[in-house]
Amino acid sequence: MGLLGQKRVPMVCRITFYCGAGILLAPAFTTIEGMSAKRSMTALADDPKPTPNNTIHAELGEPVKPQTFSRALKFFVADVTDRSGNAQPMLVYKPRNGIFLDRTPVEITREGLTTCLKSANMLALDRDSADFILAVYLFRFGLSDSSGMDFFGKVELAVVVKNPKTGKSQQVTATGTSIAGAAILKKNIQKNVLEDINNALGDALRNLLRGEKLRDAVTALDVSAGDKTPPVGTAPPAAEKPTGKK
Amino acid sequence: MRAIRMAMAVAVFAAVLPALAKDPEAQFKSVEAKHFARAEGVELSPEFADYLYAELRAELTKAKLFGQVIGEGEVVDAADAPASIIIEGNITEYKKGSAVKDRLIGFGAGWRSLKLDTTVKRRSDQSIMVSPQIHVRSSPRWKDKVLAKEAAHQIVKELKEALKEKGAAK
Repeated sequence: MGLLGQKRVPMVCRITFYCGAGILLAPAFTTIEGMSAKRSMTALADDPKPTPNNTIHAELGEPVKPQTFSRALKFFVADVTDRSGNAQPMLVYKPRNGIFLDRTPVEITREGLTTCLKSANMLALDRDSADFILAVYLFRFGLSDSSGMDFFGKVELAVVVKNPKTGKSQQVTATGTSIAGAAILKKNIQKNVLEDINNALGDALRNLLRGEKLRDAVTALDVSAGDKTPPVGTAPPAAEKPTGKK
Repeated sequence: MRAIRMAMAVAVFAAVLPALAKDPEAQFKSVEAKHFARAEGVELSPEFADYLYAELRAELTKAKLFGQVIGEGEVVDAADAPASIIIEGNITEYKKGSAVKDRLIGFGAGWRSLKLDTTVKRRSDQSIMVSPQIHVRSSPRWKDKVLAKEAAHQIVKELKEALKEKGAAK
């Protein structure tokens, strides 16, 4: 069935009608297509790009003093892996032409953790001299959804603490949060976002290094200094590697 | 005339003096805020609990009653334990409200509502110092996290008042 009655209208008329309708509707379709293309072009143009003006340098403000253990221990930071699944890990704030980090969250976290351990003389220079090897998995780094009246910075990480002598390992989770005030001027937004991320990172590292979970893990994994021989068949347990959120 | 000017200057100085005074010393060495648990049937995301925790810590820092606001599960020196407190709680009720009622009726009808049971304990002996029950409401047109912000503010306000009363009783 067409728009016209099939029985009473001759074919010539029908063809003429559809051609006419096509001619009339063509500009409308063209306009819609044009608008759609324009919108996608605008979206591409709106996608923020990193420039020196919208790039911030996030780093740990003051090194966190780790807790003291029963004996002097050395930690080696082996791997820091980004498990956030974020396609743009350096873009921390999208509106207003965006705010970018100058380094990846992995680099910032590694630097922060090593700085903290170094400040307390707990950083091992290599794997062989370390009492424990740390593998860090980063689940969140940056801003999270807030009430709209402030910025909510959040850093979530899981650390696999491994004793290289026994091959045993345990997972420790840590979270850092920070709230910073909202702002209207771009300069102030950048300042607040930077402060928020720095504080959240410091909080996460503090939560890790001064946490009861790390203390319990170290206590459980630490063996007497005399026992140096690694037991047979103690391959790193792949199943203990965190694959997602807790 | 000169005496009046002098008197005015003295009055202004006396009025400004309390503001210039140093902040009072922190009453407690440390405070630890914990993530609030959700009662059965409370339909709130885990992010809400995270945000409430962050807001509570921010409000505790602002209150200047505590030397340190530590994160959940951080170690505290045994010597500092008697002067340290822990804040924990439970989200007992959440009503998401009705935007239609809010628009048609107004005057607070259809607002979101959140109820929390909070417990403030002394770290050393786990004795309960104060256990305020918080009830906050907000318009459904706002994000639910506004409730967390208001709840955190209320918790710290109640805590401040309770500590002031205890201080006055002593």
